[in-house]
Amino acid sequence: MSVEAPPGRRVRAFGGGAVAGVFLACAVVSAVVASGLTAQEAVPGIPMPGPVVAYGLPVVRVVLDLAAVAVVGMSLLPKLLGFEDPGGTEPVMRRVRPLTVTAAWTWAASALLTIVFQTAELNPGSVPTPAMIADYVDSVGTGQGLLFSAACALAAAGIGLMAVRFGEKVPAELRIVVALFGLLPIPVTGHAVNSVWHDPIMISMESHVMGAAAWAGGLAAVTVFVAPRRELLAAVLPRFSRIATVCLLVVSLSGLVTGLGTMALTPGVELPGALLTSEYGLLVVAKLALAALLVPLAAHIRFRLLPAIRGGAATAVVAWATAELAVMGLAYGVAVAITRASIG
Amino acid sequence: MRRLLTVLLLASAAVGISLPARAHNVLISSDPKDGAALSAAPAVVTLVFDQAVRQGYAQVGVTGPDGAAMADGAASVAAEKVTVKVKPLTAAGAYVVGYRILSADGHPVTGKITFRLTAPGSAAPETAPATAAETAPQTASASASDAADSARAAEAAANGGAGMAVVWIVAALLLLAAGTGVALRRARPADAIIGASHEDASDGEGRA
Repeated sequence: MSVEAPPGRRVRAFGGGAVAGVFLACAVVSAVVASGLTAQEAVPGIPMPGPVVAYGLPVVRVVLDLAAVAVVGMSLLPKLLGFEDPGGTEPVMRRVRPLTVTAAWTWAASALLTIVFQTAELNPGSVPTPAMIADYVDSVGTGQGLLFSAACALAAAGIGLMAVRFGEKVPAELRIVVALFGLLPIPVTGHAVNSVWHDPIMISMESHVMGAAAWAGGLAAVTVFVAPRRELLAAVLPRFSRIATVCLLVVSLSGLVTGLGTMALTPGVELPGALLTSEYGLLVVAKLALAALLVPLAAHIRFRLLPAIRGGAATAVVAWATAELAVMGLAYGVAVAITRASIG
Repeated sequence: MRRLLTVLLLASAAVGISLPARAHNVLISSDPKDGAALSAAPAVVTLVFDQAVRQGYAQVGVTGPDGAAMADGAASVAAEKVTVKVKPLTAAGAYVVGYRILSADGHPVTGKITFRLTAPGSAAPETAPATAAETAPQTASASASDAADSARAAEAAANGGAGMAVVWIVAALLLLAAGTGVALRRARPADAIIGASHEDASDGEGRA
């Protein structure tokens, strides 16, 4: 055991901050680049929002998404760890619970900040006043959706605080449901279509958002908190792997339905040509490519590494999971741009 | 876990159906048309979108060949149509109509169309339309403001305004309460078995 300890410690040092940092950095860079490339160009005679809004909005928006992902992932963790062996799982959960509260606060704050930035975007050339923000929330569905999401994030923070105090007596299901409920209004901030397909596409978007959050959040939580403890990982990773497989299917299918459906139902858009000519189409292609890139990474962990991990052997799972998280981060960044890109 | 999934699916179905998410507006036509060559100066520029444009936040600018702003006053929105009056255009050349409207889905949509004025507009025809334009805008603006008011009311009704947000929050709280009730009831028998170890854990935290 003493021989095993140093590599374990090194892995843990690499784990925590670095894994989360790679995920965050990829997402922020990809959000700024993708939003910058697809930004609506200035037109003569119309004042446009300044660079603070142009670059700040995607950053705030991606921080909102990632904070929500973190809350969902860390709320899933007690379910993945199981409740049979508190002696083994309590040390992990004791680190996770306060971090969940912090992430929930970040989520609420960035949701409110997004409302401010979107108000500023609609009122170029002026700093948003409380009256302008109230008007925005009152008249635009996006503002109401973000406000609702912030309220759910605050509820998650409250429940998280109770979990910090009372431990696993606070039901894990409650934490998961509140976190996922806060994701429900997020699709309202994106596009929708006016047709009989409105409801199916909205449900498809809801499953996309929730599936992606459970997948990325679960993977991040397992990699950061569980991977350094090999015996725990042997029990947790097979459980997560089942969820991840379902999420992969749900996310790719709902992504295809939403992306192609939205384009097909927008007047003046010709499929498949528009996939390569419109900004929305290019972003759909980018997300498809990233999803395709995720499949071999996930399959490697699932089919090559998982049997070894189950046997308790040392593997390079943290490196592979970090690579997968980096691709997921890029996809989240593109997602920020795709909710705002013009379809036609 | 299965119960949790059922709750989530039902919730997402309910929210997905009731949420007022709308589509992105697309410019489908305009008067004058994009790229048109006109011999007479237009008095009004009209942009037509595929669906109703949001009241408020709509901006239309008309820029002349010399870079001067030629739009006369603010743009007015009537359902799918956004119109702006144009000052008498005297110089021949290329004009750019830029717009930035609030799309039905809450995103700002920008774009532009261009038209060319082939003959320099003379001052003469201005007087005749002026009288007609004098009376017409009077009634037009009155009916336009009526239309704007009713459109705003219809929009608020469709959207629910702030009232809708309150409904959502109340629904969320109800769901939370129900979830807590179900979860606590399920946790009770288990408490007898693992409650003791949890008691220890939380006590330990309290001291630490």
